[in-house]
Amino acid sequence: MTEIIQQIINALLMGCTYTLIAIGFNLFFGALNVVHFSHGDVCILGAFVTLILYSLAKFLGLLVILPKFIYVPLMIIMAMIITGFLGVFFERIVIKPFRYAPLLMVLVATVALGIVVRETVRLSFPHGSNPQIFPRILPQHSFHIGGVLLRLDNLIIFGITLFLIAMMFLFIKRTKMGAAIRAISQDGEAAMMMGINMDRTVAATFLLGSALGAVAGILIGAYNNIIRFDMGLMGGVKGFSAAVVGGLGNVYGAIIGGLILGFVETFAAAFIPGGTPYTDVFAFLVVIFFLIFRPSGILGEKVYEKV
Amino acid sequence: MKIVCRIVRVSLIVFTAIFFITSVGWTQAKVVKIGFIGPLTGPNAAQGVGARNAFDLAIREANASGKFQYKIEMVALDDASDPATGVAAALKLVSDPAVVAASGHWNSPVALATIHTFHTYRIPFIVWGAIHPDITGFYKYPGVNRVAPTLVQENSPLCDWVITELGYKAFSIISDTSSYGEMNTKAFRPMAENKGVKILSVDSVTVGTTDFRPILTKIKGLNPDAVYFGGVVMEGALIKDQMEKVGLKRMFCAISGIKDDKFLEVAGPSGEGALSIKPGKPIEKLEGGTKFVKSYETAGYREPYGAYGPNAYDSAGIILEAISKVGPEDKTALMKYIRGIKYKGLMGETTFDATGQTTNIIVSRFVGQDGKWVVWEDSAYSKGARKLPKP
Repeated sequence: MTEIIQQIINALLMGCTYTLIAIGFNLFFGALNVVHFSHGDVCILGAFVTLILYSLAKFLGLLVILPKFIYVPLMIIMAMIITGFLGVFFERIVIKPFRYAPLLMVLVATVALGIVVRETVRLSFPHGSNPQIFPRILPQHSFHIGGVLLRLDNLIIFGITLFLIAMMFLFIKRTKMGAAIRAISQDGEAAMMMGINMDRTVAATFLLGSALGAVAGILIGAYNNIIRFDMGLMGGVKGFSAAVVGGLGNVYGAIIGGLILGFVETFAAAFIPGGTPYTDVFAFLVVIFFLIFRPSGILGEKVYEKV
Repeated sequence: MKIVCRIVRVSLIVFTAIFFITSVGWTQAKVVKIGFIGPLTGPNAAQGVGARNAFDLAIREANASGKFQYKIEMVALDDASDPATGVAAALKLVSDPAVVAASGHWNSPVALATIHTFHTYRIPFIVWGAIHPDITGFYKYPGVNRVAPTLVQENSPLCDWVITELGYKAFSIISDTSSYGEMNTKAFRPMAENKGVKILSVDSVTVGTTDFRPILTKIKGLNPDAVYFGGVVMEGALIKDQMEKVGLKRMFCAISGIKDDKFLEVAGPSGEGALSIKPGKPIEKLEGGTKFVKSYETAGYREPYGAYGPNAYDSAGIILEAISKVGPEDKTALMKYIRGIKYKGLMGETTFDATGQTTNIIVSRFVGQDGKWVVWEDSAYSKGARKLPKP
């Protein structure tokens, strides 16, 4: 029983990162009907931005002056802001020019953007092709409750994810900009006729999605203690898969999709004999299952087109 | 007619002079190239870069010695631990007529892919770090030799150490899905079982995986004495670190695939007490070890020479000796000379058996202690000041 609870904790933590990536996919798809295939790379970019900030702070001696509980949140917030604005910049130069073009063109453009982001990180970072050690920014303490091992860093990762999801829902439900994002998700043209500034709303969507993605990248780094320039490729595919399973375009669906993928991968590795090398296979089998039997995902609505 | 004769005579003199001047110049500037391939980027770059530097050091010393009438040049190419990239690098080397011999690879799957290229193009090749037994034992190519022991030759002393000497009796095996990982499991499992060990689980993981918690949580439930890992640095370090994080505080051991400073850097404090084995004696116990370390430092390489630096240094030394004895032109003669060599180098005396495998198979034992690999015999663990997890 203890082992099963421990595996559920593993699955929840894996699901957290997928959820944060998937929320970005769903926000972008909801706002612009666009699948932003380089979103996974933007997320890992967030982790690399944090690594640069950490090195800079270390160089300036700030790590000695400031306590950990101050400089770590500060670094995360700064990385969120920088990555968020980079996300807006990418939207402006790569996605906006194709706003009224066939969807396939945007798709190719975002795939190409992913390659550019990856290679830029690889070439501009010292020894960029090699895995980079991510600093242990979270407390490493652990304790037992009823035979179950709980780690403080895992609880913080879980807490950060819950907090950000709650904040995002409040933002979308309770703020004017959130209402604008919902409006353009429902009908962009009608929203514009009602006086909503499309460009500003799309920028806010990308700022929000990319900032959340940056946190996903940072949490991946903090959880595994390493990051690699190409981690965003698989992370992006998994995040997109989670979004598809949950219902593309539905922000709540991202949570369900992320958790499903986390559980499938963890339980395949833990309980299927010889299943460890095939965890991705099981995860994508689930995605294929949903694409065949429920293409709109768990919370996605069926779209009827009048002909 | 006279004028014509004079023109012909003058032309002859001019052309002969040009020929002699240029040919003398060519002889002086003749370049003999030796290839080096290794993982210069990617997760195992620390191993490849250190070995490349040591290889380069041997060539610099050869050029400075004045023994060679031509300039020896190293052509270092990256295999990125990837067989396809390795084959592309091998093809690039064999296509260059100035390349007379080569040495390469830390990753066995890469070596298993490229040796056929070197064999086909008749280029003498010395493997400096890849330890899959088939590289020499199965193919037995006359031009392919290896200065490192095979993984079977490494697993055997590891078994003696952790099972017979330290008394661990119940193991979980994790290996990566590469041929290196599979072969490690194949080598370790029967050896351990013959010594009365109970193998509780055998799992394999894909290279590049970063989250091993599900599998380690499962292993924790089986309650083994120890975990044996058949893989390389990055996955090994992450497994060791995550073993601590899931509360699997058990002994962790592996052969030389993890014996790198990067392992302890990535594993952090969790690297404490990890056991590993490495071909050759510790550098400070080698006859020319101090001189090598001093020369390496003087040469100004930024990266450490790594676990396989001495292997690469001796590989270059063997090739250079062969070139000095039989010349660079006849590659078949070079192959024959290398196969029959009795080379006294940094790692001691190296000779090759009929399959091209080194007969110099001394291994050393190491333990992770305070972020450094310490020779077992000199460690606080061996002296009883620190304890490994109990069997």
